[in-house]
Amino acid sequence: MPDPPARDEDLVRRYLSGDRAAFAALVERHERRVYNLALRMTGREEDARDATQDAFLTVLRKLSSFRGEAAFTTWLHRVTVNACYDLLRKRRRAPLLERGEDDLPALEPPPAPDHADASSLSMDVQQALLQVPEDFRAVMILHDVHDLRQEEVAAIVGVPIGTVKSRLHRGRIALARAMGIEQQGRFSEDPKGPPAPGGSPGGAPGASRSGERADAPGPSEGTVSP
Amino acid sequence: MSHPEDLLADYVGGTLDERERAAVDAHLPGCARCSAEVRQAEAARAALSELEDVPVPFGVTGPVLAEAGRRFERRRGVAWGRFQWAAGLAAAAAFVVVVAVNIGGEDSQNAAAPERTTAVAGGTGAAGAEAAAPGVIPFAGLERQTDVNYDEAGIRAVATEAAGAVVAAEEAPGTQAALASTVQDSKERTSLARECVDQSGVRGPNDVLIRLIEARFDGTPAFIGVYSEGPGAGQTPDHIVVFVIAKDDCRILSTASQRIPSG
Repeated sequence: MPDPPARDEDLVRRYLSGDRAAFAALVERHERRVYNLALRMTGREEDARDATQDAFLTVLRKLSSFRGEAAFTTWLHRVTVNACYDLLRKRRRAPLLERGEDDLPALEPPPAPDHADASSLSMDVQQALLQVPEDFRAVMILHDVHDLRQEEVAAIVGVPIGTVKSRLHRGRIALARAMGIEQQGRFSEDPKGPPAPGGSPGGAPGASRSGERADAPGPSEGTVSP
Repeated sequence: MSHPEDLLADYVGGTLDERERAAVDAHLPGCARCSAEVRQAEAARAALSELEDVPVPFGVTGPVLAEAGRRFERRRGVAWGRFQWAAGLAAAAAFVVVVAVNIGGEDSQNAAAPERTTAVAGGTGAAGAEAAAPGVIPFAGLERQTDVNYDEAGIRAVATEAAGAVVAAEEAPGTQAALASTVQDSKERTSLARECVDQSGVRGPNDVLIRLIEARFDGTPAFIGVYSEGPGAGQTPDHIVVFVIAKDDCRILSTASQRIPSG
């Protein structure tokens, strides 16, 4: 892949040493990635807007303390994911009565169909994505939608690579179930009935989330950027 | 062979080496559980790969770049005094126009606004200093109500509610009336919102921001600034003025005013 005209880290330095256009160049270069990551994480255009603004404002505020210990894009992705977590948390906390009626369907995604048929496959992938626990959703979006390498995802999310692999696999299964794809063996049918390795779409991944959090650093801005 | 769970993500992603891949291939036909998981994961991965990037809507990063510009200017120590003076006059002039158009002649004291401009032009931190004065509601920060869609009647209700809160604060100065809901936002977003409202030119010289709401107005993402307004010089406010500002480009969408009943 050819090098971009100026490295991100050089643009950061140039902005800090008085080149006003350098920050605009950084924003222009990355806004599409940041916005789309936020859109997939939150599922709503307005939240994606807010998360994008929050992420870039955080970057702006902390730019002077960015020392290049992590790649700029890694840091930017982490800040964006954190902005999405914050926004989703606030949205959960907002009293239901304050919400507009027209927003209710989006806030309460339809339950996953409990049967597999052709029509359930047409269910909006984005809606299904919103039913996957956030930590798993983030890893899947970064890897399967944005094509980032597992090593980079691990650095962004702040977990070991083994955790990325496991979140990826469990997240995909949760997504498939949310889309109504049931577990029919490709090679054989299990006469005893299939075990439920991932539990319900939100269940097992959500349960394992707290366990992972206990011994692995969660994604927090502070651990990458001072 | 036990279930090769740690290999399945890479098996589906096609990144296993030959030996590992062969091991999984050998395991799958005899294991309903793993083959079901692989099938589901493959379907999910295929679905995700079909999600396409969308273009960034207009204006998303505009406020960020504006903030970057402001920070830059502050760092450079540009002669801000003059800018603020000019901006203050412009804001006051625009305010008079807004009042004339939207509120009519009932606020005759606003006509004198430009004469009082320079003392407070550009000031944004009035709440702290004036919080102790009677009838002043302390500004608590940006309230996010992004799921609430206001209309004209809703804006008038906000003004009426604020007028009532000011009266309550006048009558019982020790117990400040709480207007803000509990959902507050970061300082960055608050100052962005304030600057958007200020930038729109609506703020009068004796307006004190008492409430700032991020919501929608007739479907448009908007900031709603609620100001108490008075003759200044420490006197109690006599009006509530509400401005609705488009979040996109800080243009004025609507206004409302409410006289504060004098005790």
